[in-house]
Amino acid sequence: MVANPTDIREEGIAVEPGAAPASGAPLRQSNLWRDAWRRYIRNRGAVVAGSIFVLVLLYCLIAPILSPHDPNAVDFAMASQNPTWEHPFGTDKFGRDLFTRTALGGRVSMAIGFGATLAILAIGVVYGAISGFVGGRLDNGLMRFLDALYGLPYLPFAIITLAIIGKTNLWTMMVALSIASWFTAARIVRGQVITLKENDYVRAAKAVGARWYRILGRHLLPNTLGVLIIAIFLELPAVILGEAFLSFIGLGISPPDASWGAMAQEGRTVYRTHPTAIIVPSIAIATLVLCANFVADGLRDALDPRTKES
Amino acid sequence: MTTFIIRRLFWTIPVILLVILLTFTMMRQIQGNPFRKSERAVPEAVQRNLERKFNLDKPWYLQYAYYVKGVATYDLGPSLVLRGRTVNDIVEEHFPVSIELGLYAFLFALITGVPLGMIAALRHNTALDYGAMFFSNVGHAVPSFLVATLLIYFFALQWGDVTGLPTSGWSSWEHKILPSIALGLGPMALFARLVRGTMLETLQQDYVRTARAKGLHYRRVVGLHVLRNSLIPVVTAAGPLLGFIITGSFIIELIFNVPGIGQYFVTAVNARDYSVVMGLTVLLSVIVIGANLVVDILYGILDPRTRDART
Repeated sequence: MVANPTDIREEGIAVEPGAAPASGAPLRQSNLWRDAWRRYIRNRGAVVAGSIFVLVLLYCLIAPILSPHDPNAVDFAMASQNPTWEHPFGTDKFGRDLFTRTALGGRVSMAIGFGATLAILAIGVVYGAISGFVGGRLDNGLMRFLDALYGLPYLPFAIITLAIIGKTNLWTMMVALSIASWFTAARIVRGQVITLKENDYVRAAKAVGARWYRILGRHLLPNTLGVLIIAIFLELPAVILGEAFLSFIGLGISPPDASWGAMAQEGRTVYRTHPTAIIVPSIAIATLVLCANFVADGLRDALDPRTKES
Repeated sequence: MTTFIIRRLFWTIPVILLVILLTFTMMRQIQGNPFRKSERAVPEAVQRNLERKFNLDKPWYLQYAYYVKGVATYDLGPSLVLRGRTVNDIVEEHFPVSIELGLYAFLFALITGVPLGMIAALRHNTALDYGAMFFSNVGHAVPSFLVATLLIYFFALQWGDVTGLPTSGWSSWEHKILPSIALGLGPMALFARLVRGTMLETLQQDYVRTARAKGLHYRRVVGLHVLRNSLIPVVTAAGPLLGFIITGSFIIELIFNVPGIGQYFVTAVNARDYSVVMGLTVLLSVIVIGANLVVDILYGILDPRTRDART
């Protein structure tokens, strides 16, 4: 379950003790990241998923710049059109071009998605690193606290958080989505730190008198990087779906700005006559979530070579 | 085993107290006092009486103690918005509906997801396997509101004359089909993947080979040894899954207009009925904690090695 790249990493350490191979130093030896990259490239499904993921990102960034349509221009003569060459995704009930609006909505969804994911990982790293590194009673207490919160439905707590803050924008959405979602990340980091702590090079560093912050910053945390990269692609789909849920029940950011979830909510009002308006943003969400899941699987196989190659 | 169960039961009490404390603290941060709203301003003295009646003049730890006592004696307090209604009334009216919906969704997921995973594992690396896994991955990724909307669009609107299924409501058994499928699709995908994964692993085990070598029929090996051992992870997944079903039911109940607790939660948040929001959050949390407890105990029975490791 816990990916552990240390086995291969030790080769890198052995060559030049104390140096962080992750910094991309020009080592000739096969290093972890190059090996992982090679393994990832061989995984056809993960490569396809990764490419589509990048394409969706590019579409969200570039399409609004190139598009001739104003995303907020209301034109009732063109309302609820099905896809044409002029409007590849059709138009919504106000006649706004869905191709442009989906890209803009994607920017919002992804900004919230990546922001909340980073927040989740930041909390998880701090909590997990403290718990795993200090160990003993503190670790026990912190983990019991996590056990208590584990599995709680995050949606009610996200909703309450939004009610506490009292307003909804990009930042408050990030807070609401990360506040009850960091438990898994903290567990992963703690597990990783505890496994790494017993390695010989950490003991060696301790033996030569390295301070705790050096051990933590130089040896333990860089080695959790692989796990964290996988965690990004595991958390991102959950956060993007969570944002879509909140927006869909009317707690998202307000118009005319829209995330994919908010667009789907708008489309829901006309789904009987014009289902395209809800299908387009939903498929955008599904594509991103699906690709992120496959990329996470691919990364796990690439960074943890002990997993079977079936 | 008995000590394990007792220890596990005792550990649940502080957990529930902690979760109530967190919810309680969060709810107290929300600005405003229900009795000091300008449109229904009451004289100062009446206000103080009201606050005394609902213990709002006491320090926070006493209020917390009162609330815990209320939860323990199943008295979640009055609604702040609906006149003459208590949170208990709301729970009793809407909760059975949500449980029924969740149960149907769970059953749907079980009777479709487990066979799907089995087929994928038994026909490993064939088109059937890839198809089942692609379906499962898509089912996991597609947001439930799209599934729900498409189900309504096709089965209730386009082909409604043939199927005779209604678009929304909860009064007859026809009403319950589409919401249950929409809610069960995500868990189904999860079950299929879990069963496939563990079954592939179990099929490699020595005792399976031994059973085959003894001359036991393939079907019997799969049915007797492989399937039983492959279902353990399904049991452990049931706890987190409950959270998933609760979260999903917010959307599904809204779309299908099912009078369940998820839909009511959203209504209560929009109406700023904070005692209802808090009562429902505590209730949902206690349910999840209870489910985790049951899962842990079941797991301890199924796999004795975990008894000491988990408290």
